[in-house]
Amino acid sequence: MDIISVKNLVKKFEDVTAVDNISFTVKKGEIFAFLGPNGAGKTTTIHILTTLLKPTEGTAIVAGHDVREDSAEIRKRIGIVFQDSSLDRELTAYENMYIHGKIYNVDGRDLRKRIEDLLKFVELGKFKNKVVKNFSGGMIRRLEIARALLHRPEILFLDEPTLGLDPQTRAHIWEYIKNMKEEHEMTIFLTTHYMDEAEQLAERIGIIDHGKIIAEGSPEELKKRIGKDVIYLRFSDKTENCMETELVKNCKILPDGRMELGVENAAEALPRIFEAAMKKGQKIMEVSYHSPTLNDVFLYLTGRAIREERGNKLDVMKNRRKRWRR
Amino acid sequence: MKAFITLLYRQIKRFMRAKSRVIGAFVNPLLWLVFFGLGWSKVFNFPMAKQIFGGSDYLSFLAPGIVSMAIFSSSFISGISVLWDKEFGFLKEILVAPCSRKEAIMGRIVGDSLTSVLQGAIILLMTFTIAHSLKISGIPYVILLGFILAGSFVSVGVILALKMTSMEGFQMIMSFLMLPLLFLSGAFYPIDTMPAWMQALSRINPLTYAVDGSRYFLLGTSKFAITTDIGILLLLTFLFAGVAVYMFERTTID
Repeated sequence: MDIISVKNLVKKFEDVTAVDNISFTVKKGEIFAFLGPNGAGKTTTIHILTTLLKPTEGTAIVAGHDVREDSAEIRKRIGIVFQDSSLDRELTAYENMYIHGKIYNVDGRDLRKRIEDLLKFVELGKFKNKVVKNFSGGMIRRLEIARALLHRPEILFLDEPTLGLDPQTRAHIWEYIKNMKEEHEMTIFLTTHYMDEAEQLAERIGIIDHGKIIAEGSPEELKKRIGKDVIYLRFSDKTENCMETELVKNCKILPDGRMELGVENAAEALPRIFEAAMKKGQKIMEVSYHSPTLNDVFLYLTGRAIREERGNKLDVMKNRRKRWRR
Repeated sequence: MKAFITLLYRQIKRFMRAKSRVIGAFVNPLLWLVFFGLGWSKVFNFPMAKQIFGGSDYLSFLAPGIVSMAIFSSSFISGISVLWDKEFGFLKEILVAPCSRKEAIMGRIVGDSLTSVLQGAIILLMTFTIAHSLKISGIPYVILLGFILAGSFVSVGVILALKMTSMEGFQMIMSFLMLPLLFLSGAFYPIDTMPAWMQALSRINPLTYAVDGSRYFLLGTSKFAITTDIGILLLLTFLFAGVAVYMFERTTID
């Protein structure tokens, strides 16, 4: 069953098209990740799905309700952890949870018990009466996750859940997310620009770039697109033409001049490739190969590595996030 | 009602935790009352002066003004603190919640008004120690009037905060709006002695009617009829609160 279904969704801000005609579905109970560089339209999509922004065109059905018409019904059924903290820094962990419970209609003893349990779940039990102002980045993120779970949402949205955290804390948060899914049978929609995060957590990934979904599937399916191994070659002379041998599944010249070859088995394919190059009189300067990562997939699809920061659009999106309107 | 009570609870919790803000809120009006008030009271210590200040000594004339000023500035500042909620993100938590936004913002306005009036009430009690011709029976009325005043300026603060896109505007508003409103309110000197153009401006200043009404309850004399004072303040409070609610219901992330 599809718990989120998005068709031809478009979001334009005056001059920029942040989300450009995307369609996808998320099944009930799965972890779905949007993977893409900063400014690709991930946060905008989350804001539309969580009813904070109205779409320019297209439809989005979340938990059985249309984001245009039934925002109140959707809001009851979703939990969100925003990219930037949305806690009240002057209040304690407990008070933040308590206020959330109250405005989400959780009451009395039930509320108190849930707060205690969830704070324990994210290992913040000891800090329940401490003011959030003094929390570390990791503690804040954990508290936000606990708070988002308080009203038992059907879908949990996580916008870059481990952005800016140290590796240890990130691994910790991944554990919570996996446990959460198991214990509460929840659907989780997350966005990230970390390959390892998408690979660790997601059952299905949508790769998004410039507001468009350029590939979709499980991590394995995506990686299979390039082949089981990827080989990178650098020739002494720049080559324009790709190598055509029977063992090469696909081949591409990268912007930095290297040739990228997807093969079934690099150990078998390499001697054949050397042979073919020799026949053509090409001199190989550099060889490397490894099993493909999601980064290779992104490189293969866009010609860029995901972490390359691209000045202009990124800045536009950053500024946009800071801008508020009545 | 839940969102209303919750936000009210939040504002009061926050207020009680912000110790420096609480102390600051008392220090400023007291500085005015003691140094400005005591200083000038000796200058105005001649028979003619009593006539200018409506029959009372200068400190007693000033005291209701200081109380209104305390309520005015703390309510205005707490209304504008919606801007901090934008910056630090808590506003998003409210915007995405399945609760009535009308209730949420009203809870906030009432909560901030209560804390502002509480500060005003304490200042009011303190003024009794140095201003000697104030009527004790006026205290509850001044507090009620202060609550209406607070409601209107918390709302104005909220409106400005929702309109503002950055923190930079904040300082400008503080200096270009707050001080003129205070000087044109008749808190420090009677409106009748002002030049005509200043008098005209003070008549469109909501704070004028709060100061004048407080004088009525504490001294028994006022420039306008007490019904005028209360009527205008009530009207403005409903108007500003209504605009604040309207705007908050339409707030989105851009």
